[in-house]
Amino acid sequence: MASATVIEIRGLSKSYGSGTKQTAALRNLNLSVHQGEIFGYLGPNGAGKTTTIRMLLDLIRPSSGSASIFGMDIRDHSVEIHRRVGFLPGELSLWEGRSGQQIIHYVASVHGDSKGITKQADELAKRLQLDTSKRVRDLSSGNKRKLGLVLAMMHSPDLLILDEPTNGLDPLVQQTFHEMMDEFRDKGKTVFLSSHILSEVQAICDRAGILRDGDLKAVESIEKLMNVEFHWVDVQFRDAVPEGLARQLQQSSEISDVAVNGSRVKMRLVGDFDPLLRMISDGYVKDLRVEEPSLEDIFLAYYSDGREAR
Amino acid sequence: MIGSVFLETYKQTWKQMVYWGVGLAAMALMVVLMVPLFDMQDIKDLLETFPPIILAMVGIGKELEIFATNEGFVAMGFFGKSALIFAVYPVVMGMRITANEEDSGTMDVLLSLPVQRARVIVEKFIAYSISIVGVVLLIYLGMQIGVSIAGIDLDVARLAEVTFYLIPLMVFIMAVTMLIAVIVRRRSVALGIVTAFVIASYMLQAIGAVAEGTVAEPIGSISFLTYYNAGDILTQGFIWPHIAGFVVVSAVLLLASLYQYERRDIAV
Repeated sequence: MASATVIEIRGLSKSYGSGTKQTAALRNLNLSVHQGEIFGYLGPNGAGKTTTIRMLLDLIRPSSGSASIFGMDIRDHSVEIHRRVGFLPGELSLWEGRSGQQIIHYVASVHGDSKGITKQADELAKRLQLDTSKRVRDLSSGNKRKLGLVLAMMHSPDLLILDEPTNGLDPLVQQTFHEMMDEFRDKGKTVFLSSHILSEVQAICDRAGILRDGDLKAVESIEKLMNVEFHWVDVQFRDAVPEGLARQLQQSSEISDVAVNGSRVKMRLVGDFDPLLRMISDGYVKDLRVEEPSLEDIFLAYYSDGREAR
Repeated sequence: MIGSVFLETYKQTWKQMVYWGVGLAAMALMVVLMVPLFDMQDIKDLLETFPPIILAMVGIGKELEIFATNEGFVAMGFFGKSALIFAVYPVVMGMRITANEEDSGTMDVLLSLPVQRARVIVEKFIAYSISIVGVVLLIYLGMQIGVSIAGIDLDVARLAEVTFYLIPLMVFIMAVTMLIAVIVRRRSVALGIVTAFVIASYMLQAIGAVAEGTVAEPIGSISFLTYYNAGDILTQGFIWPHIAGFVVVSAVLLLASLYQYERRDIAV
């Protein structure tokens, strides 16, 4: 990609504790996120997503390695970086006794351009149908999340770092959020988005990284991940499954997860179809269905031991 | 923008400042209104019958003469016995500088903004110090109202000195709380350590006062409460070396907090 690198992570690691009680939350992470892309950071709880984000924001310090945002070191230039970054934490906590409007004014005043930012905040709140006059303690979790999005976006940042952004948002607002992300990208801005909702990453991200137990397992474009060379194949025979077919399929290096159910055989096929077609030609094939793998299938494939997607 | 954290901190705190100030002012008012009800010489005679340890625990030293005066009665009735009460407000404020915000998660939001950690601590420290001044001013106002209502003869200037002496004392307690919270991170642990520190200081002061003239006397000098003695202030006025001590130590504690907070991870 020719566009500029916005986030550059080099050998970033984070461990907690010491001695025998030391646990690695993140190991030797190397990653680049480019200008104008929406990058999905995928992984289950405890994989190291939030640890990465908190290090990028200089809330916690790396055990080793370094990272830069907009070409500036995350530790040495945190204030300059934060001026251009909008952040939404995964577990958003705000000042409970203050109203949305008061918090918007507070955050805007820290940014230094109170008037322009609050005007932008009003527009965002209107779009997300958020009542900012209510106190935080009176807001539902979904509305709190909306307020978090307003706070992250109201100063027109160049980079958004969002940790599980649509948690608690209803489907209509999620749709609005997706539109907002598309518009954000169209302006040449960048989004680093962590999520465990695969359909969301599939819908809005350009590239995704898959994190497991603190290790980055893969980084690919969504398009490429979707073109991963495996398919689910479901063969329905008119009569019984031909004798010896199941064993033949299981012995094939391209075929796995063979499941026979009456006259049906389901399997996972890697590579070309021709060898499979030759194997099943002894029977009368009534129906044959091929399913494209979902991102979830790919995700699970990366996660299954000793068998990563190709 | 410089001052934004200070302003917001003050906006979030002024109500508590008023509640605490009015509460303590009401206590001060009550003590002043009790002055005409007692013969101060009788009080002094009564005090002389108490064991020194009991007197030390309510902040009364050897100079019992001062407690035969109206000012001495107020000092004993309010400032002496309330030493631990005065510690509560600065502990609450000290916990708010970092521990409460880290515990609730709002520190992540705040420090993701273009603001240095040191600036957050300094602006909050100043805001809470001003709220301490506000509380002390309300206490003084309560006493003044009491003097007007009771129509008693009271050396207001001397009482003002005892009252405003609370400011460096309370700021010091807040600074201690802040540093402990910065070091241990967890709110509940920090609160436990600060409480132990204040109670231990209280006990050491009492032991030091009782052990005067013995080898155990220097124990009292370890306690910060030794440097806030209402009786001493009534007789000597502001004891500037002690005030300077509180100010310097508070400044050192602030610098240590800045140093430590800059180095460590923000808790979740």
